[in-house]
Amino acid sequence: MAFVWARLAFFAGIISLFHAGYSAAQHRAYMRVTEQEFTSLPTDISIQGFLSLLMAMYGILYIAGDFKEIRANVQLQNKSWETVGNRPTFYTFAHRGRALSPNYSPPKATRSPLDPIDSLAAGPHHQE
Amino acid sequence: MATLDLDWEDVREQLRTWREDNTRHSEEVVDMWDYCLKHYKHKLGDERWMVEEQVVVAGLDCYRLDVAEPSLVALNDQFPGSLRVRKLKAMRLEALERFDEAMDIYDSIIRQDETNSTARKRKVSVLRGQGRITEAIKELTEYLKIFMSDSEAWQELCDLYLKEADYSKAAFCMEELILTNPHNHLFHTRYAEIKYTQGGLDNMEIARSYFSQAAKLNPNNVRALYGLFMSCTQVLSSSKMSGPKKKETQQLATWALKEISDRYSKCRTNTMDGSKILETFKSLSIMDKA
Repeated sequence: MAFVWARLAFFAGIISLFHAGYSAAQHRAYMRVTEQEFTSLPTDISIQGFLSLLMAMYGILYIAGDFKEIRANVQLQNKSWETVGNRPTFYTFAHRGRALSPNYSPPKATRSPLDPIDSLAAGPHHQE
Repeated sequence: MATLDLDWEDVREQLRTWREDNTRHSEEVVDMWDYCLKHYKHKLGDERWMVEEQVVVAGLDCYRLDVAEPSLVALNDQFPGSLRVRKLKAMRLEALERFDEAMDIYDSIIRQDETNSTARKRKVSVLRGQGRITEAIKELTEYLKIFMSDSEAWQELCDLYLKEADYSKAAFCMEELILTNPHNHLFHTRYAEIKYTQGGLDNMEIARSYFSQAAKLNPNNVRALYGLFMSCTQVLSSSKMSGPKKKETQQLATWALKEISDRYSKCRTNTMDGSKILETFKSLSIMDKA
């Protein structure tokens, strides 16, 4: 509900601001036609302009969304190393997770599993 | 499958948050695309291509080539000759373990556009994917000579040094990262952990101060609190410190322990009884007094 009111205030403020500007232009044109010296705007136009500015400001504060925290470390407060330590441009795809994929077929073993462990580990893709 | 019930707009929103937060979530991205968003791609507008790129990377990460390849073809049709798409093609070759061909493509991208940092970074990952860690380190240090302010690369270098158990160099990389963002408590924790692993009284004291700083930046960082407790105990057990200083360290350890047990007693629920954890902490504190 507050959001509707804020929108209403914003639009009313903008329209009223536009109206005040138009009135000011009209006033100057009138002054020129009647060949009077232009000194200052009539008070009612200035007040209208000021009030509608305030109204539009009030409205936009609610429309623009929530404020961000000014303290620098607050946004990091809820982050864990999972996200901060993640490096998208350095992804390697030769990890064990791919064995879970339905279309992954493991490379054919050229040696039997009974061979010494070190000869298996020496293969190019056994380390991550 | 839960994703079936999801509204496609919610899915789009979720993928967007993941893209912006740089989280991995590859499996979820693939599922959400496959079960839901795939059928609404014409509604996505210009965002579609960002999503397709995300799906290609996620698909390759899960080795779901059946998901990644259609998106890659679509991207290729939309942007023929784009370097970014060419990089994705090379990433597909990487997933297929055709590392040499991928390397050739990255080299050709760099020849065409010398300022292309992603291709250079991918070359490091190619080496890492093959397990050639020392070569990857060499390549990455060359890269960092040109692009010094790339914090992601510093993180990768730190990780590679840790793989090689070269802790002092890894600690240096972490120092650089702390300089880029002194408010990040995770960097402080990580640095302290590296120093803790290195061992020795001096390093222990450094670890203690960095754990304290991390706990100060984020009081909810239980890992830092636990690290603070552990490093304090280590300092106490290994040094011949003078009276007041020793007492101070002792107090710091007790404080850290109290903070941790407070946190655990707060999150005690019906399903998870925290008393076991508290008992363990109590036994730890007895060790600390002995």
